[in-house]
Amino acid sequence: MRDFGPIWGLPLWVWIFVLPALLVSLAALRPRQAEPVLRPLWALLDKVYLAAGLIAALGMISILLLIVAQMVARWSSVAFPGSTDYAGYAMAATSFFALAHALTRGAHIRVSVFLNMTPGTRFYLDAFAMFIAALIATFFARYAIKTTGFSVLLNDRTQGQDQVPEWLLSAVSLLGTWPWNWAEVWAARGDEWVFTPLWLPQIPMCIGSVLLAVALWDYLSRLLVTGHTAIVKEGLE
Amino acid sequence: MTEAWATAVFLIALFALLGSSVWVGLALMGVAWVGMELFTSRPAGDAMLTTIWASSSSWTLTALPLFIWMGEILYRTRLSEDMFRGLAPWMRGLPGGLLHTNIAGCTVFAAVSGSSAATLTTVGKMSIPELRSRGYPEYMIIGTLAGAATLGLMIPPSLTLIVYGVTINESITQLFMAGIIPGLVLAGLFMSYIIGWHYVRPSEHATPEPKMSFGAMLNESRFLAPVLMLVFAVIGSMYFGWATATEAAAVGVLGALLLAALQRSLNWQTFSASLMGATRTSAMIALILMGAAFLSLAMGFTGLPRALAAYIDTLGLSPITLIAALTVFYIILGMFLDGISSVVLTMAIVEPMIRQAGIDVIWFGIFIVVVVEMAQVTPPIGFNLFVLQGMTNHEIGYIAKTAIPMVGLMLLMVVILVIWPELATWLPETIRQSRS
Repeated sequence: MRDFGPIWGLPLWVWIFVLPALLVSLAALRPRQAEPVLRPLWALLDKVYLAAGLIAALGMISILLLIVAQMVARWSSVAFPGSTDYAGYAMAATSFFALAHALTRGAHIRVSVFLNMTPGTRFYLDAFAMFIAALIATFFARYAIKTTGFSVLLNDRTQGQDQVPEWLLSAVSLLGTWPWNWAEVWAARGDEWVFTPLWLPQIPMCIGSVLLAVALWDYLSRLLVTGHTAIVKEGLE
Repeated sequence: MTEAWATAVFLIALFALLGSSVWVGLALMGVAWVGMELFTSRPAGDAMLTTIWASSSSWTLTALPLFIWMGEILYRTRLSEDMFRGLAPWMRGLPGGLLHTNIAGCTVFAAVSGSSAATLTTVGKMSIPELRSRGYPEYMIIGTLAGAATLGLMIPPSLTLIVYGVTINESITQLFMAGIIPGLVLAGLFMSYIIGWHYVRPSEHATPEPKMSFGAMLNESRFLAPVLMLVFAVIGSMYFGWATATEAAAVGVLGALLLAALQRSLNWQTFSASLMGATRTSAMIALILMGAAFLSLAMGFTGLPRALAAYIDTLGLSPITLIAALTVFYIILGMFLDGISSVVLTMAIVEPMIRQAGIDVIWFGIFIVVVVEMAQVTPPIGFNLFVLQGMTNHEIGYIAKTAIPMVGLMLLMVVILVIWPELATWLPETIRQSRS
């Protein structure tokens, strides 16, 4: 547990592992009181997961368009530098944004032999599995953010030929600054194209992995409060 | 002794997490996390994310979501009706009659879809009711369908082969080419089983179909032409080297959309359903691949795979013994895990082993697909069994029993592959030589 330095007086691992666990246990102990508080939150989060799923779908379409563009460029002997890297970024965005959405629709695979064995233990095993999964996903999300932060710090650039306009970088970095500094950041933007800094395509990784962790804690609370799983499986695997 | 200790910890953690029904991808990450913390001084989290980022933003992987999407689009078209109508006239004359539409239908759909469940549903939706109404015995309808649907995993595009290729860094096009002939041979084995049934059990024959003129046959099968053209466009473009696997997948998606539009089954609802379904499925596979990438890294740090490969080497097993042992191993694994998970989970260990033993990795890809195909139709976890249960309301046990002869045929296929490895290696080898 090195590398989890204190934030606001408490080690980081308290904030990201212990606090959600305490909140979820609290909800489990007082389901009657927790349910009216949590229900609007659940509804809101469901919309967020779906929205991320829709963004992922746009990522899927952009993979298709990028590859078609690459083929057309090759046939007409026009250079399309970095096309494979762009497609790779779109691939990452599609996978990460859809993680939470896929979880809520039961698309992720799990070994359910023991889960389905006896109805009596199902609840406890399911809760245990979700708890462990939530811990792992939280670990994942924490380091996704750290890695992206490091890419900003080291100004890591792509190894490929892909470039992005500087105004896009400025626009995205607005999200990481306080609104009263926006004018300053925006005024300092350049109008060149630069080799893609890695943090830009890594942002979907941060958002997606955080959403997955949130979704697991969220669905754990639903399971504990209502007594049955909220994951609804639909369609084919 | 550290290796034995590491092996034990990895195995126990893995079984504990998978068995307690933690999602496969996250379970793999968890095992790797524990392993890194215990056996290395490297920071686990940073190494984890570097690996995961590299593996999930890779260009080769982009073929995966596109092939999934292509299958999802076709799954939602009227293809199942067309397929039965188009294939039936050609099959009615064969001994065993229309039962062959199960095999032929699965073979054709397998060539446009990489999923065995989608193949099963698409073909079964039409063929189960049609064959029942003609009086074919239930166990033959269900059994042949359960077996033939596994062709979806072998005949390109195959999701399992993409995942295998990405995991061990081999050309996906080569693997796809390697899958064609063994896929057709396996389909041939299934068909010969139906022919055998026809002669052994004359009392179970269905009423023969009325004669049909050649013109009428052609007329009926005009519906099949668009699908066959799509198959040709996708596989042909890879075969002739016009397109990479990813580009062929993009062609496939566009072709599938066009085909659906021609059939007038393309509307906003089917488009968005196919897109969202494909997004979810590819996120599912992506999560497993992320977990597997981190797990192979963690195991690599412990030196476990190399030590194990060296140990196997000292045993002096012949490749055939090794393959036999791996077959048993994968069959047992497949009882609990789906095909893609068992491939990614084991490759970090198995890859050094087979390379050391001098086994061709392309050939091994086809071998592993046949073996995980068996897992699709063996209880307790067999995805085809679940899908068929949903479609027919039979007990899992009954469906599994009808599929036993098919499992036998797949075992025979493993033997055939061992005796004639050229079945898998000849086509990719020929293409490689003609390109260079």
